[in-house]
Formats: sequence, structure tokens, C-alpha cells
Amino acid sequence: MNARNDHTIETPRERQGRHKAMEAVKVLDTLREYAVNPPEAMEYFYELHRRYHCDMTPMHEGKTKVGTMCIQVPYEVIDALGAAPVRLCNGFYTDDEIGGEYLPSKSCPLVKATVGAFATDHFADAPDLVVTPTTCDQKTKATGIVEEMGYPVYEMEFPRVKESEESREYWRRSVRNFTKTLSKELKTKLTRRKLKASIQKVGYAQTLYHRLSALRKAELPPISGNDMFLVTNAFFFDKTEAWSAAVERLLIEMEARVKEGIGAARKRSPRIVYTGSPPIFPNLKVPQLIEMADAVIVADESCSSNRLFNDMVSVDEWFLYDMVDAVADRYLKGCTCPVFTRNDDRIRRIVELVKEFSADGVVYQAFAGCQVYEMEQRSVLAAMEKEGIPILYLESDYSPSQLGQLTTRVEAFVESLKSRKRRQ
Amino acid sequence: MKRIRRFLDLGNLRRFRAIVQLVTFVLLIYGAYFAIDLGSNMPVLSCGYDRQNGGMCYLLPLQHQLGRPLGMLFSMASIGILVGFVTFLLWFIVFNKAWCGFVCPLGTMQDWLTSLRKLFGIRYSSYNQTQFNRLKVIKYVLLVLLLLLPVAIGAGLIGGEWRAAFCQICPGRMITPLFVGDFSQWTIDFSSKTTMILTALGMVITGMFLAGSFVKKRFFCFFCPMSALQYSFSKFSILKLKKDGGKCTKCGDCYTVCDMQIKDIADDVQSRDILRDDCTLCMKCIAACPEEGCLQADIAGFTIFQSTKEGFSKRMQIDRPGGDDERA
Repeated sequence: MNARNDHTIETPRERQGRHKAMEAVKVLDTLREYAVNPPEAMEYFYELHRRYHCDMTPMHEGKTKVGTMCIQVPYEVIDALGAAPVRLCNGFYTDDEIGGEYLPSKSCPLVKATVGAFATDHFADAPDLVVTPTTCDQKTKATGIVEEMGYPVYEMEFPRVKESEESREYWRRSVRNFTKTLSKELKTKLTRRKLKASIQKVGYAQTLYHRLSALRKAELPPISGNDMFLVTNAFFFDKTEAWSAAVERLLIEMEARVKEGIGAARKRSPRIVYTGSPPIFPNLKVPQLIEMADAVIVADESCSSNRLFNDMVSVDEWFLYDMVDAVADRYLKGCTCPVFTRNDDRIRRIVELVKEFSADGVVYQAFAGCQVYEMEQRSVLAAMEKEGIPILYLESDYSPSQLGQLTTRVEAFVESLKSRKRRQ
Repeated sequence: MKRIRRFLDLGNLRRFRAIVQLVTFVLLIYGAYFAIDLGSNMPVLSCGYDRQNGGMCYLLPLQHQLGRPLGMLFSMASIGILVGFVTFLLWFIVFNKAWCGFVCPLGTMQDWLTSLRKLFGIRYSSYNQTQFNRLKVIKYVLLVLLLLLPVAIGAGLIGGEWRAAFCQICPGRMITPLFVGDFSQWTIDFSSKTTMILTALGMVITGMFLAGSFVKKRFFCFFCPMSALQYSFSKFSILKLKKDGGKCTKCGDCYTVCDMQIKDIADDVQSRDILRDDCTLCMKCIAACPEEGCLQADIAGFTIFQSTKEGFSKRMQIDRPGGDDERA
């Protein structure tokens, strides 16, 4: 791999890199191969993922990189302080296996894979500081493990109830403390102007996502769900401006497609709302199965995509700490993560997405070991049944082993949706 | 039709409101100069002590009317009271509590004080939820007193100096006349112990009004008995604040911008009619909602303003990143 070195035998690290590159390339190739009318503007994202995950090309050289372990870390604040936020949630099976050395085998593959990447320090953009919000148990406990490995870690305290004013105030305080600490750490002063610019920058990216999403309501959705996941996953590590510019190009192409009636699926393809544990590149196992079985994902409810972009910062008075508080609210109030005590909001959201995007069914994936999503499946299933929405619950992980069984179940589900559609 | 819809939804609510407030302020405070008189049954605090007013607050005549001897109060002579009340109601049911957010001069003045604070770069203060819940009761207590005291006078239980007791302590009495150069209300009335206490209290409350509204948005509206009176009839109004709970993500954006700290606006996903007693129908929540059609203002079933993603982006100035940095 590395010709300048004299190694003739591959080092473990090189092997890890090669295996990860193989995983990534396989996913990208499969997506290309099975795409119905692949959009030209998607090339940017295919290439971006290839460069970042296979070539390990850093995206933020010269900047302090703040690694974020969950969706709740306020992106706007990090950006305003001149650092680069890089989300470290990981989807590599290779890293998952390495992480298995540090965490119980039954724990969540996402957390295992993330810890695995830390264990081997295998990053394109290695974080200078790791920020972990105390969201789910496994991420909270992973904090200690990552710290022991020698990374500087900052803990952000996150409440598990979001309805009360107390938790809102508590979280606002967490975000204010984080802002102060990071500002000291980076020796930069957070100014009103900078934070406003960041809020607008991120807000604009969100607006683009919303516009792109809205196009998927069309009778023939112009973009596949898997491509959408590539786009949203790219936001984890890409420069925001570059990402926005690429999505702008994609939008132009997609708008033209909707007008011309070109879709990324067939007219009869069942429309799916995807929910549950987040598909994080390259673990697009289940979304790929769904779309290869001739269904199309028209919307999703997951923290790697929809939830990442949906809620927007609204500021009443543009003062520094009014903005910081407003940013804090965005990450708590609208969040539908199942770590919270109650989760009616998530159910309402799924139902609304099904209606809004005229979906035919819901696929709910829970990673084996991801307790909160596993525990919740019953309530979501019951709610969907009440609404008459067909739903398929799948338990999966990052391993390629149970593909056969999953394929059968997904195909059967898609077929049942098709025959249901025919009957209507 | 679609174009009108879009024009309305993308509207600059802030500017629209500021203009309406200015126009109605001039109308209500200086109306007499233009020979405009909208009568004495307005559902806003536009004080009758301002001799040039173009329409005055209903609370003053209401207290006077209720203060009649009981025999007279329950006679045909009270048809006049009924007429006044019906006029008040007719005004009210058209615009609902938008009277507070768009017309009330005392409300407008508070918004001006808020702008002054912003100019100084000082951040607003807010109540916590416990304080809020305690404070919101006060306006009902004031309303009950406002209705009972005159009746008690009529029944001979208390002296006539309690007449229009609320007006004695209302900051509107002292502040509105100032705008026409009348400082005569800035005195303590020593004619009796009661009037002395009431007018002194009025002084204190006026001071609190000025200081309070400077640090707290719409400080006085939490205590306003007019607000309580209005809310009692707001179900009948044709202007409605509506919410589609299914579309709400409870993101709290509306709650964040609410001058009156109404938490229900964000958290209640069941109510269709989301107007609460403290609401001033300023519609800031609609402007701040990023969900398509989640919040809307309807007049007789016709939507005049609703939340849209596009409108949100425009008002938050995120449709053009790196745009101007004006203090919005």
C-alpha cells in the first residue's frame, strides 16, 4: 500500500486500512452498480467518501479538529470558534472487531467500531479533542475507555428527560460551559458575529437538506435513500461550505429530474420510511437490502440523516448568549433519540413522515446491542399497527454474516407491500 | 392565489407589526386631534385619562358602570352596560388577543422599551416555570377585584374612593397622558387614605412598569386584567392561533421567541386551538416555526399567516449565508 516503506509484509495497521478501504469500496461499487438513473452530482459524494475512507485524505488540515461522539455536540459553536467538528460515529466492521477487544461482545457495533478506531488511531482527521455527550449508556461508558487510551476528552452532560424546564436549563448550562471551555482551549474568543455566521452557515446547509428531502415526496423520488445517506453522512466530516455547494448542484439536477419525471426507483417500488439505529457509512447494509429489493427509502428518522438536519436554530435577539442558548435548545428539544425516558415524539414523527412522504411501510433497524432502540421496538410496532402502517423490525449488526436471512425478510416485506399496493 | 399565499407567509412580521403598532398608537393616543373617536369600549389599555385619545380602554367605563347602586344595576338602566359590553365584544371577537400584540399602546410601549434595551446590548431576563405559574394567576385576581369592587361600592360596602381602583394603580393612567404633554397624573392624591394608598401604589407600579419592561419582555402583560377578561371570551373569536400537533417536532423554537414564555406553544401537541391566556397573538411563534404549516393564524377559517420552511429561512437570514449582520 505504502510504496515508500520497505515493508514487504503488511503491518496490522496497513491491513486495517486495506480492509476498511475494501468495505468502503464495496459499498460504493454496489451503489453504483444497482443505481437506477444514477445522478451525476452524486459523483462528488462517492469520490469524497472514497478519498476520506480509502485514501485517508484529511479534510481539515491546519485546523483544530474537535471529534464529536454524538449528534448532540453543538456544531455551530465549534465552527464559530474556528475549529473543525468531525463526527466520529463509525460504521466499519473492521473497527467493530477491534473495538470488541475493549467492550463486551454484546455491545452496540457503532460504539465498538468508534472505540476500535480510537484503539488504532486510524483516522483521516484525527481529533485533537474528543467531546462526548452523556447520551446513551454505552457512549457514556466509552468515554472512560477513550480517555484511558490517551485522548483528551471533554464530557458534556446531557439530560435524559427533555420535557422539563429543569433539563432544558441543565443542558443550556452544559452548552455554555462547553463554549467557555472550548474557547479557552482554542484561545479564541467567541463573538456575536462569528456565532451568527456559523448559525447561518449550518442553517443554510439544513435548508438545502430540507429542500432536497421535499423533492422525495414526488411520485418518482429523484434520489435513492442510499444516496441520501451518502450525502448526509458526508456532513460528518466534509467542510460545510463544500458540502453545501455540492448539495446545491445536486438540488439543481434533482429539481430538473422531478420536472422530467426521472426517478431513482420504479413507479411501483414501495416507498419506505427508514428508522432506528443510524446507517453510518459504510454500514449501509439494511438500506442497501431495501433498495436492492426494489423498494425506495423516501424518508428516514435517524440521527445520521434526518435528525441531524431537521431542527433549526431560531434566535429572538442576536446576542451572544441568547444564540448559545438557542443553539442548545436545537440539540435537546427536538431530539427524538430513544435515550429519553419517553419517546412519543419519535412515534409521532414516524407517522408524520409516512403521511407526508406517502410511504407504504416502515423498516425499523436496531443494532444488536443498541438497547434503547431494541427496547423501544414494541411501542413503535404497536403505534404503527394502530395507524395501519406496515412495519418490519430487523435486528442487525455490522457483520456480513446474516445477510441471507436479512435479505429474505426484507424481500418478503417488500413483496407484501407490493401486493398490498396492487390490491388498493 | 398561490402567490398571495407565499407573499403573506414570507412576510416580514417584525416590520409589519412595528408599523401597525405605530399607526394604532398614534390613532389611540392622538386620535382626538384628527377628530377620530372609536368609543370607550376598546379591548386595549388606551387610557381615558389621556384627553386626546382616539378610543379608550373598556375597563374604566366598566368599573364606573358596575359601581351603580344595586337597584339601578339590576334594572333596565343597565341596558347601557350591556351595549358597552357588546361593543367591546364585537371589537374583540374580530381580532382576538391580537389587540395585545398589535394595538395596545401599553404593549407597544413595552416593545419600545425592549428595543431600547437591545440598543444597549443588554440581554432580557426571564421567569422560571414556577415563577411563571404563580404570576399568571395575578391577572385573574385583579380582574375579579376589578369587577367586585365597584359592585361593593354600589352595595354600600366600601367607600366611593375605591371607584376605578384598578385605574388608580394602572401604569397606563400615568404614562399615556405623557404623550400629549399632560403630567397631571403624576401626583399622589391626598384626599383620603384610600386614594393616597392607591395613587402611591400607582406611582410604584408605573416605576416597576418602566424598569420591568426594560429587562423583561412584555413585563406588564403577565398582570393585565384586560388580558384575563379577553381570554374569557377568546373561544368566540374568529381570529385563531392554530397548531397541527402532528407536524410539531417540539423543537421549542416558538417557545424560545415567545415574549410571554408560553411553554404550551411548543409542548402541547393535542390542542388545535393553541391560544393561551397569556398570549398576545403577536405571531412571533408562527414566524419562528420551521415546520411547514405547523402553526397558523386563521381568520374565519381563512389562513392569513402560517409557518413555512422558506419563511423561516428568510426571517432567520439563513437563505443567504454570510449575509448582513444587522441587529434583528
